[in-house]
Amino acid sequence: MDRNSPPPAPRRKRLTPVDIAIFAAVAALVVYTGYRVNAVLVYHWNWPRVLNFVLRYDPETGRYVANLLLYGLATTLRLALWGTVLATVIGIVMGYWRTVDNLTLRILSRSYVELIRNIPPLVFIFIFYFFISSQIFPALGLDDLDAEGPLVDNWLFAVLFGDPALLSNFLAGVLCLAMFEGAYVTEIVRAGIQAVGRGQWEAARAIGLSRTNVLRDVIMPQALRKILPPLAGQFITLIKDSSIVSLISIQELTFAATEVSSTTTKVFETWILVGAMYFVLCYSFALLFGWLERRAARSRR
Amino acid sequence: MKILNSIKAMAVAVAVAASSVVATTAPASADSVLEDILKRGKLRVGMSTFVPWAMRDNEGNLIGFEIDVATKLAEDMGVEVEFVPTAWSGIIPALIAKKFDVIVGGMSITPQRNLTVNFTIPYAHSGQTMAANTELAGDFKDLADYNDSAVTLACRRGATPCNLAEKMFPKASIRRFDDDAQAFQEVANGNAHATIASAPKPEFTVEANPDILFMANGGEALSSNDEAFGLRKGDPDALNFFSNWIRVNTTNGWLQETHDYWFKGQTAWKDMVAPDQ
Repeated sequence: MDRNSPPPAPRRKRLTPVDIAIFAAVAALVVYTGYRVNAVLVYHWNWPRVLNFVLRYDPETGRYVANLLLYGLATTLRLALWGTVLATVIGIVMGYWRTVDNLTLRILSRSYVELIRNIPPLVFIFIFYFFISSQIFPALGLDDLDAEGPLVDNWLFAVLFGDPALLSNFLAGVLCLAMFEGAYVTEIVRAGIQAVGRGQWEAARAIGLSRTNVLRDVIMPQALRKILPPLAGQFITLIKDSSIVSLISIQELTFAATEVSSTTTKVFETWILVGAMYFVLCYSFALLFGWLERRAARSRR
Repeated sequence: MKILNSIKAMAVAVAVAASSVVATTAPASADSVLEDILKRGKLRVGMSTFVPWAMRDNEGNLIGFEIDVATKLAEDMGVEVEFVPTAWSGIIPALIAKKFDVIVGGMSITPQRNLTVNFTIPYAHSGQTMAANTELAGDFKDLADYNDSAVTLACRRGATPCNLAEKMFPKASIRRFDDDAQAFQEVANGNAHATIASAPKPEFTVEANPDILFMANGGEALSSNDEAFGLRKGDPDALNFFSNWIRVNTTNGWLQETHDYWFKGQTAWKDMVAPDQ
């Protein structure tokens, strides 16, 4: 090939017989597994009984209303949203500290990241909940929150925080998740800042910008662009990780599911359904973030 | 010199930490939780889902024996009741961390538990029964047959049936699950010979699956238990109040009547938890 000819056109992507055979084999395996499960498992399937806990028919109003599992899903979403906000704040502060010259700040942030990354989430959450968050909330007086007060008794509060009676419980969950996920966000932020070339710092300093200005106007905008895609991935991880706070009795989707499965004894329907709910939730966010990213890439050009 | 200093610093740190631990674990004052409840106007009850003690009806509301008990208790105190559903394995730490005032959770009195929490006098007496797989254990003659290394038993982790299984059938291998439902499923699948649980859960499950399960030991209880309210230590006033509430409601027959309603069979309340059946 001589160097003046145009590059060869990319090969058309199409399925060859080999690919079709592979897909067929995978499908056959899935079907066989499903068949085997039914043969091995002694179980009476009863989907309506569990689906009733997602939406139930209310004979009084003649409409379908949300039930336990949907409330759980709403709590999971709230946990994920607040958890992300807090984890981002923690992550940006700690992530910046990871890159500064001050040794104390670097030691602090490094210890935080290493501590959390090297303890199993289950262990961390149990310790955090009983030793730390149980000291904070009573001290703040959250346990005696007036449920009928004007600050609490409105729809906005209900949308943002859910049932006021469970507020301190919910906040404990948010705090646990944020502390936990914050460590990973810290590393994402650190990587983002460090990915901006050293030359950018030097050039910005050379034209006389102060350190704050360099960071705010030169480094952060560039770092942010690098940070956003992994941050989106972290958000989806956080939705999934929120299931571990069911251990400390936060009334989210997984906790609601344990209650439903032990009441109805319909274990498999419950967990398959809950698995599907998590999947739909996470995958729709993945699609949304993918779309946002493509849009951002287009507008940048 | 430097080493000495750092040792000194460490000793101080340890002393500070120890004194703060002591400060947090010792009762803050002589105040009884009763006063907190009355001041708050709300009794916070820790419980865990467990048929038919506490379960979810079709509308997602809590119903069951201990729900009735705690509701009446709050009514008699003139306060509202708030249920705090808690994972069973964390219910005692949650009580100690003041997440709620009292455990009304069908908790059996055991000496080990009593070392960390205080118990009232019992408000219910239940036995533990065993449901077994017909195919695997159908020809077992008596309980001694289950004490064999080839036998697998399933039970709920952290609950008294697991302790009982260990004690009665030391040779059998025991599989612990987080939840009753999983233990029962393991038996139904034929992966375990039998499961022990508080009555009447095994009876209800056998009723639902008569072709694969049967009641071991002819349905007789393997042991009997006393269930009581659990309270934080160092609060004699609350202990006295709750115990006497139980005494009053035992004498007037209310507890027995309510217990019979939930435990003597599912017919009275089956419609509340199972649609389309």
